[in-house]
Amino acid sequence: MASNPTRSDLEELVYRTCERLDEKDLAGFLSLCDAAFTYKVTAWAPEIRREMTWLDRGRAELEEFFKMLPKHNTDPNPLARHAQVTRVSLDDAGGRAEVTSTVQVFRTQLDGGATKLYAIGKYFDTVDCSGAAPRLLARHVRLDTRDLHWGTHLPI
Amino acid sequence: MSRNSAQWRSRPKLPATHYADPAIYADPDLFAEEKEKIFKKVWWLAVHESELPNPGDFRTYRHPGDARLVLVRGEDGKVRSFYNLCPHRGNLLVYTPSGNSKNLVCIFHQWAFNGRGDCVDIPREKAGYQERLCKNDVALKEVRTEIGFGGFVWVNLDDHAPPLASEIGAALDYMLPELEAEPMETLWYYQARLATNYKLIHDTNSEFYHDYLHLYNRLTGMLKPDSGYFQRKYTAFPGGHASVGSMNVSYESYKASGRGQLGWPKLAPNGWKLVDLFPCITFNLRTSVLRIDTYIPLGPDDVIYEFRVLGLKSDSARIRSQREKDSAVIWGPFGRNLHEDLLASSGQGIAMARGSEPMHVLQAREESATIHDEIGMRHFLAEWSRRMGRSSAEPYAIERVSTRAA
Repeated sequence: MASNPTRSDLEELVYRTCERLDEKDLAGFLSLCDAAFTYKVTAWAPEIRREMTWLDRGRAELEEFFKMLPKHNTDPNPLARHAQVTRVSLDDAGGRAEVTSTVQVFRTQLDGGATKLYAIGKYFDTVDCSGAAPRLLARHVRLDTRDLHWGTHLPI
Repeated sequence: MSRNSAQWRSRPKLPATHYADPAIYADPDLFAEEKEKIFKKVWWLAVHESELPNPGDFRTYRHPGDARLVLVRGEDGKVRSFYNLCPHRGNLLVYTPSGNSKNLVCIFHQWAFNGRGDCVDIPREKAGYQERLCKNDVALKEVRTEIGFGGFVWVNLDDHAPPLASEIGAALDYMLPELEAEPMETLWYYQARLATNYKLIHDTNSEFYHDYLHLYNRLTGMLKPDSGYFQRKYTAFPGGHASVGSMNVSYESYKASGRGQLGWPKLAPNGWKLVDLFPCITFNLRTSVLRIDTYIPLGPDDVIYEFRVLGLKSDSARIRSQREKDSAVIWGPFGRNLHEDLLASSGQGIAMARGSEPMHVLQAREESATIHDEIGMRHFLAEWSRRMGRSSAEPYAIERVSTRAA
């Protein structure tokens, strides 16, 4: 049964993905995603005039990736993703939606609590609306920021 | 038992070659001296020639010797480097990191320069300068430039420095078959500005005892007796360079590696070759990509880390995509290993900042020049000491002697 989502439903999906990632609840993030979910992070490098793909993974690969995370040394300082949906387009049949959001990511130092802007970019989301609830089918994070300091192991 | 202040400050009971004074990572005066005695004297890897493939293409480069450069491929196909500075009033000639232009034209007064550095236009030249100054008097300042070792473009501010080949010596011979197998192209370039000393990040390529930091390297190498991990050997070369022997990386031991079977021409399947060049350039070849680390030190605790990944010019879009996937597992801003390396070297920068009274830094492991031997760091610091005229273990010794003499 198609969910026939409203714009508000789709906005809420995007914001919930941000909340799950902010909480480092990677299983919760994947619960909002379709079985065929793909995730990609790209950035344009003006130095070499080329689009760089810094992550490109399917759901199964992401699940394995996430399982290994607790065993790694990783930045303990939390990231906070502030997204704002700017455009929503539903296909004629209502089975799929394209949702574009601007996103700002902030990093807060655990020691002292100072917050700094970490990255800006856009989410280009494809949402499957054919089921009971809309689910994320693909997320393409296109970053404007390329200096990501010491980096992160987490999806942005 | 913990140490008191005197014990903490006392020198390790080791040869002076086996520890470093922490001041070499934090003292602004020593950093200024490094700039004069090292950064302005050595060859720096500025760009790869694939980043300026066509006549008129240009790339900017921030040289660690405080020079802003622009590299240009001229109409004759030759790549030359110039100060990115208009000789008229000192404005930047080029504001974007790359582009293509028949001439470099200063936005300020439209003075124009060709790919040979010649001034080709001065608006209203005769009206203002009559016969007192002409275009020939105001060419760009050229910087020595050479292409080599896989199509990289190297620059040197010192007009009297020995040629690139003599500075590199035989250090890259070990990797030359792979570097020259096919023309390469840059797939990734980005920078990260970090509050640490460039030598501390470079150390993460100069010693592999720190593989305890990396789950990935433990699973795919250290914990695999058949991989040859513990048999990898350092080879030291004159000039502070060193190479690290190959092994058989057990990629399948890390689930979610996402790695394909692409490999690299002439590199053994699952091989891994690495070469460190003094003062801070690393050629790192594994999986299906060549990673190049270069650094732009801005201060004793301030560095721009430049990161490149290269593939082959002949790659199809599908193969290029696979190379990027292979690289992304461990490298790049989201990779497993690079994040860990930068966390650790930044942590050193924080903990050993000037005024924090850090201890002497140990590089004392001796294991017959195999992978957990710290000979790579010792070899680096021997060259650093030679060029600086100071011992890295006791960098102020000369000053103290001269003070006593006075």
